[in-house]
Amino acid sequence: MHRSLASTIVFAAAIAVPLIAQTSAAGQAQSVAAKAATAKTRPAAKAWAPPLTPDGKPDLQGVWTNNTVTPLERPKGLAGKEFYTEAELKDVQKQERERLAVIEEKGQPPANHSGVEGADADDVHYDFSQFGLDRAQAKLAWNRRTSIIVGTEGTIPPLTPDARKRLAEMRAKAKGHEFDGPENLNLGTRCIARVNVAPLLPSAYNSNLQIVQSPGYVAIETEMIHDVRIIPTDGRAHLPGSIHQWYGDSVGHWEGNTLVIDTTNYTDQNPFKGAQNLHVIERLSRADQDTILYQFTVEDPGMWTKPWSGELPITRISGQIYEYACHEANYGLADTLRGARVAEAEAAKKSVK
Amino acid sequence: MRTKLFLLGGLLLATAAASAWAHHGFAAEFEQTRPLKLKGTVTKWEVTNPHSWIHMDVKGEDGKVVAWMIEGGSPNNLYRLGFTKDSLPPGSEIVVEGYQAKDLSTVAVGKSVTFADGRKLFFSSQARESEPDKK
Amino acid sequence: MRNWLRDSMVAGIAVLCVLSLAAAPSVAQVLPYRTPRTADGKPNLSGIWQALNTADWDLQGHAAATGPVASLGAVFAKPPGLGVVEGDEIPYLPAMAAKKKENQANWTKLDPEVKCYLPGVPRATYLPYPFQIVQSQNNVLISYEYAGAVRIINMGAPTKAPADSWMGWSNGHWEGETLVVDVTSQMEDTWFDRSGNFHSDALHVVERYTPRSADTLTYEATIEDPKVFSRPWKISMPLYRRVEKNARLLEYKCPEFAEELLYGPLRKKASN
Repeated sequence: MHRSLASTIVFAAAIAVPLIAQTSAAGQAQSVAAKAATAKTRPAAKAWAPPLTPDGKPDLQGVWTNNTVTPLERPKGLAGKEFYTEAELKDVQKQERERLAVIEEKGQPPANHSGVEGADADDVHYDFSQFGLDRAQAKLAWNRRTSIIVGTEGTIPPLTPDARKRLAEMRAKAKGHEFDGPENLNLGTRCIARVNVAPLLPSAYNSNLQIVQSPGYVAIETEMIHDVRIIPTDGRAHLPGSIHQWYGDSVGHWEGNTLVIDTTNYTDQNPFKGAQNLHVIERLSRADQDTILYQFTVEDPGMWTKPWSGELPITRISGQIYEYACHEANYGLADTLRGARVAEAEAAKKSVK
Repeated sequence: MRTKLFLLGGLLLATAAASAWAHHGFAAEFEQTRPLKLKGTVTKWEVTNPHSWIHMDVKGEDGKVVAWMIEGGSPNNLYRLGFTKDSLPPGSEIVVEGYQAKDLSTVAVGKSVTFADGRKLFFSSQARESEPDKK
Repeated sequence: MRNWLRDSMVAGIAVLCVLSLAAAPSVAQVLPYRTPRTADGKPNLSGIWQALNTADWDLQGHAAATGPVASLGAVFAKPPGLGVVEGDEIPYLPAMAAKKKENQANWTKLDPEVKCYLPGVPRATYLPYPFQIVQSQNNVLISYEYAGAVRIINMGAPTKAPADSWMGWSNGHWEGETLVVDVTSQMEDTWFDRSGNFHSDALHVVERYTPRSADTLTYEATIEDPKVFSRPWKISMPLYRRVEKNARLLEYKCPEFAEELLYGPLRKKASN
């Protein structure tokens, strides 16, 4: 009697444990799929197993894009609405096609190209669509999110009072000196560093990256400005605090099928000007054959009142990345400074009269 | 209402990604009050980044030929769309509408650049060879 | 009869054994070093490497010489070097030899390295900074500390470049222990060193990376440019693995360091 009860309990446990495990895995897979909410992925009963590199790590290699229409922050009118429905997404896609059609016929609308914050819109710029640089002329990584930043608010949290003061001082100091010298221009204009590297925020065009892996390392090259982060996955410590780099210092490790990248040691200039102790955590995992799910968390208690996180799919492209040399032919920087000197001379002449 | 929201979303992306655009102060480089229209012949297409440059010879009313350079966009996505450095060959007749450099040098930004017969440089008026909405 | 046959067979085998034993040491001496394999069975070249020579100053043999900046004295004088060119001769066409001399005389104004321009191939290999090879099946990525230069070598079917680039267009394949890389379509604006050695847009470089020990590679590059040189010529040098624990590339984003030189004269003058 005891034996049969015991064996029944054991038998029941033997069935129950795997069932529970499968259910929680399914639940996990479903919430991952819901978060990704791409039109392509379907919630799976079992988590999808990615292909592996020859040395047994999840294979993230290939040429990818994070080109998107999704803004970083949620538009005010969509507050509280984290996802479009499938029908609403189809509307967004239709509007995107129509927007490009209008631009191709009439040219792009005016915008502020002056490099001066708050200046009026102008049309002193080449039309992006003429050179295939409108975002709709490249593959878009569609998803149902209304903003890259996740959560009910979908916005960057408020600045701390200290940060508000610090940024106001920086702005006041910069005002009227936007073109004094090369150091007054932004880092992207100077071909030094861009904001699309760590974290991997989308850029207006050429929003592409290539991943190459070898044992112990994952290399991520972003097309602009041919920047490569080679992330060691051997669990080593960060660089000493005395070393700051434009893109910080990235170290990584694998958690199951997810590459987790931890980045510190940024300067206070890039990618979020004024943040003095930036810490970024990124997570990359293959969601399906042609998609990497990319999630990131940004924190700096001296800058924002709380951490904030974003999520966007990265999708495979059939093309390749090409060299974006930048500094070597940056005639525009010299022309900008020259033009500013001419404008100052003209203004000086007028004031003399 | 929905239309407004979606367009607003697009604008916000532009704002958020603004610093990602290497907007090096175009209005500081070029003179807004001096729009121009140039007709001439391509001598060289410099396929560089962050901007490509179309070099062209423009014959003035006095018969003198003046060399201009016209600022355009990064060529990288054109390569992905199947174009190469030879896709705008020397000798091509083009028309440029844009703005001249502030220092009056023969440099301009080409808001619109077309072949003399009105065709776009790289795209026909209807077809796009890209993958616009492929999911 | 059978004994005779058996004896001669035994003798024959013995002779062969002795001969092969005698031959073995010399055969072993000419066998190339066989480096550990990657998981997909290829010689493993991944790691952080650096050249330890003065090739970036001058590819050819050279004595030490006064540097271009008097105030930097012995910190920035030209160090001596044996040279890395096979035969120590760079075979310029007669019309091109004069251009090299002119480049050399004005090198601080003309050398693209001073402006932090991307160095091209092969100069990227022997700049005085480390580089990292990340080797995968279909691509070999090489990231150079200098100026964040990078190239991705295509290991699949060779492809063609849509336009020229500073770091060129690289197609690679394996020949035994050696990674062979064919580099075309480089911008004509790069130099080979600080001594004015230059090329045209017809440059064609074939590199060979061969492991010679656990922590060294032999690097060879054959340079061909019929617009500038009368025949192909070759450089070779060892590359050394950076073996310190946690060795890594750091940022040397030098456009910033060249800004005063390039844009200083365009800066707003301080008003009196």
